[in-house]
Amino acid sequence: MTTAGSTVAASRNPYAEQAPVPTARFLHGLNPLAKLAAPLPAMILILFTRDLATPLGFVVLALALLLVGARLRAPAVVALLIGTPLGVAVLGVTFGVWVDPARLDDASTAASIVLLEVGEWRFTLAAYLVGLATALRVASIVLLSLIAGLTTTGPELVRALVQNLRVPYRLGYTALAALRFVPRFRHELDVIRAAHRVRGIDTGRGPVAAVRRSISYAIPLLASAIRHAERVALAMEARAFGAHHTRTERTVSGWRLPDTVFVAAFWLVTAAIVWWGLLAA
Amino acid sequence: MPAAPLLELDAVRIRHEGASRATPDGVSLDVRAGEVVLLLGPSGCGKSTLTLALDGLVPHAVAAELAGTVRVAGLDTREHPVAELSEHVAMVFQDPDAQVVTGTVLDEVAFGPENLLLPVEWVLERAERALKLVGLWDRRGDNPDVLSGGGRQRLAIACALALASPVLVLDEPTANLDPAGIDEVYAVLRELASERDHAIVLVEHNLDAAVDIVDRVVVLDAAGRVLADGPVGEVLRRRAAELAELGVWLPVSTLAGMRLRAAGAPIDPLPLTPSELAAALEAVDALPAPVPEVVERVDGTPASKSPASEGAAPRPAAITVRDCSVRRGGRRGPVVVDGVDLDVASGDFLAIVGTNGAGKTTLVQAIAGVIPAPRGTVDVLGMDPSRASARDRARRIGFVFQNPEHQFIAHTVADELDLGFRLQGVPDDERPAEIERMLRRFGLEQLRGQHPFLLSGGQKRRLSVGTALVAGAPVLVLDEPTFGQDRARASELLGILGRLNAEGTTVIIVSHDLQLVADHANRVAVMQGGRIIGAGPTGEVLEGPLIEAAGLRHPPLARATRSLVRHPEWQHVTRMSQLPRPGRAAA
Repeated sequence: MTTAGSTVAASRNPYAEQAPVPTARFLHGLNPLAKLAAPLPAMILILFTRDLATPLGFVVLALALLLVGARLRAPAVVALLIGTPLGVAVLGVTFGVWVDPARLDDASTAASIVLLEVGEWRFTLAAYLVGLATALRVASIVLLSLIAGLTTTGPELVRALVQNLRVPYRLGYTALAALRFVPRFRHELDVIRAAHRVRGIDTGRGPVAAVRRSISYAIPLLASAIRHAERVALAMEARAFGAHHTRTERTVSGWRLPDTVFVAAFWLVTAAIVWWGLLAA
Repeated sequence: MPAAPLLELDAVRIRHEGASRATPDGVSLDVRAGEVVLLLGPSGCGKSTLTLALDGLVPHAVAAELAGTVRVAGLDTREHPVAELSEHVAMVFQDPDAQVVTGTVLDEVAFGPENLLLPVEWVLERAERALKLVGLWDRRGDNPDVLSGGGRQRLAIACALALASPVLVLDEPTANLDPAGIDEVYAVLRELASERDHAIVLVEHNLDAAVDIVDRVVVLDAAGRVLADGPVGEVLRRRAAELAELGVWLPVSTLAGMRLRAAGAPIDPLPLTPSELAAALEAVDALPAPVPEVVERVDGTPASKSPASEGAAPRPAAITVRDCSVRRGGRRGPVVVDGVDLDVASGDFLAIVGTNGAGKTTLVQAIAGVIPAPRGTVDVLGMDPSRASARDRARRIGFVFQNPEHQFIAHTVADELDLGFRLQGVPDDERPAEIERMLRRFGLEQLRGQHPFLLSGGQKRRLSVGTALVAGAPVLVLDEPTFGQDRARASELLGILGRLNAEGTTVIIVSHDLQLVADHANRVAVMQGGRIIGAGPTGEVLEGPLIEAAGLRHPPLARATRSLVRHPEWQHVTRMSQLPRPGRAAA
C-alpha cells in the first residue's frame, strides 16, 4: 500500500504532544476521566426529562464550558453557536411531525394553535414543543459529550484509563494501535470497490445487490485486515510489548485537585439545573 | 579468543501448522558480534520463518512447531518469552505500515524501551540516539504516516536500535520501497555495519543493494537445508552457477559476468557490484560486441530503434491521453496527475516509472477507467473508459490491481473466470471450454476448485491477469505487479507478460524496479510530480538524464556500463538481452 499513509490528513496530528494551551482553556488540562465523569449524571437525568427547561439549561452550560474552556477553531465556534440552535429548530420540526397527536393534551392552549394544516393533518404548536424538547435532549447530550470529546486526544484517554482507572495496559495500548488501522482500511475499501467495479460486478441496483456487494467487499477486506493485525501483533511483541505488568509512562496522568473541584462543581450545577427545571414545570 | 556467539542455532527445523514438511530443515549456524550475515534461498525455503525463530516469535507467537534449539545470548528461546529475548534480538519486518503502533515518531521509538520498564530519562536518551542515527530526530513530532516508505522503514530500524539489542534481524526490509527508499535504508544499514556494534542478519532479495555491506552469506536450498555458509566473495563468486540453478537471485552484475564468461569474455573473478563489473569490463582488452538493441514488432519483424524507422512503420495507437489531470479526493483535492499527454501504440510494452507519489497509479487508473472521469481526454481504442460500460471496458482494457486479492469475488478459481465470461454474455455451453482454455494458458488447471484466496502469491497474480484478459482485451494494465514480491516471482510474471506482449497484447506496467523494466519493456515513460517528464524507447530513457531527474536510480547494468572508457560501444548496454549470447561467442 504505497498510498495508505498519504490518505491521512497531515495537518494536525492528534497523537502528537499538543501545543501548550493557555491556562484559561482549562478543559484541556483536566484529567479525561474527570471530563467523562462530570457530565455523566446529567446525561442520564436528561433521558428522563420531558420539559424544555432542563435540557436547555444543559445546552447553555455545555456551550458556555466549551466556549470558555476549550481551544476551538473559528469554524468550530461558528458550528456550535449557529449550528446548535439551527439544528435544534430543524430537528424539533422533524421530531414534532412524528409525535402521536393522541398523546398530546388537547385541552392546552398550545394544542389549539395550528402551525400548518394539510388536509386532515394538523401540525400544532403542542406537537412542535414536544419535538423541540426531544431535539434539545439530543443536543444537550451531544454537547455534554463534546466537553471530553473536543478537548481529549486518544492517547490522553488511554493513559488516564491505564494509570488512573487501572485498565490493563495491554488492552489500552492495543486499542490505540488498532485505531490506526481505520484510515488504512478505509483506503483499502476504496481500492476494493474500484477493483470490483472494474470487473463489472457492481451493476445491480437495489438493496439486495447492495448487500451482496458489501459481502463481496468484506472478504478481501477481512483477509487483509487479519493479515495486517497479525503483522502488527508480531511487531509489537518483538518490541517487548507485554514484558512486564506495567510499562514506563513518560507522561503521567494524574488526578489533581482541579479535577475533583470540576467534577464536584459540575454535579452541583447539574442538581441546580434539574431543580430549576422541576420548578419551571 | 573469539567472543561467544550471540545466536546459536542447532539443527533447527520449523514446521508451520498444516504444512507437510519443515522449512527450514536442520539449520545449524552461529552468529557472532559484528557479523553481517545475508540469508539467501529460493522462495519457500523458510528464510523468513527462520528469522522469526531468532527472537522466539517461533514458537511463542506463530503457530509453528520448532525442533532443535535456538539460543539467544545463551538463552534457549523455547524457555524464555519473546519480550525477554527482544532485549537481545531486535526485528525489522518487510511492511513498514504494519510496524507502526503509536502516533508520533518519538512515541514509536520510545515504545520498546517503555515496555522494558526503563526509567524515563533512559527511554528518552535511547530514543534520541536511535532517531539521530537514522536521521529522523528532527521529525520526532510527526505522525509516522506522513513519512515516506523509506522514512518509515528507517523508523522501524530506529525502534529496533532503541531496544539496544546486540543483534538486528531484518526480513526483506526494502521489498516494499521505491529506489530512493531503498537507498535511505541501506545508507543507515551501511553505517551500522561499519560500526560493528551489532550483528546483523539480513534476508533480502535485492542483492544489488545489499551485497556491499554483507560479509557472510548463508544459502538455504529449496528443502530448507544449509547449502553454503561462508564469506560473501567465496559463496557468491565461486558457486554462482549453482545458486542461479537453485533459483537464488544473484546480483545483476554477477549474472552479467556469468553471461559474458559464457560468451567467451575472460571475466575473473565474477563481479558482485556494478563498479566491480565496470572494472572487470575495463580490464578486458577485447569484448565481444553487444547485441544491438532490437525492438520486436508485433508482426515479428525486427526494427531498429532509430526514430526514422519508427516513423516508417507506424502502428495504430492503442491509447491516446491528452492534457489529462486528476485531483485526488474530489474537486479540491491535490492534483496528482497534471496535464499528461501520452501515446501508446498497439503492441507496446510500456513501463511507467517514478518514485512513490509521482502519480503513476492514478494515471493508469484514469487510463483504465478505474477512477471517475479525469479532466482532459483519454481514448482507449476509440473508447472513453470513464463513460463506457463495464462490459465494453473489459473488452478493450484489462486492469490488474497491486494486490490481486482485491479483485477476487468468486469462491473458486474456475468461477472467477466464469464470472468474466458471463459478463461478456458468452453462452452457457461455450463457457466451460473457454474457462478451460484460460486455466491452461495461466497454468491453473490443477487449481480450478481452489478458493482464490488460498492460492500462492504467484498463482494469485496469474489468476488476476487471467481474469483481466477474459474478455480478450488487447490492452493490459498492471499497477506495480512486482511490489513486495521476490525476484523469482517477479520475473515469472514478467515472463508471462512478455509472452502476452509477443502475442500482440499491449502491456502497460507501473514499476520502480528498473532492471526488470530494462529487461522487459520496450518503452518507458518517466513520471515526476504528476507530470510525464519524458518518454521513449527503453534504452534511450535509461541512458539519459531523466531517470536521475525523477529521483530514481539507474539499473545496475546501466550503472556499470555508462562510464566505460575502453569499450564505448558498451556504454548503451542497459538490458541483459544486449549481452552477447554464448552462440555468437568469442568473435
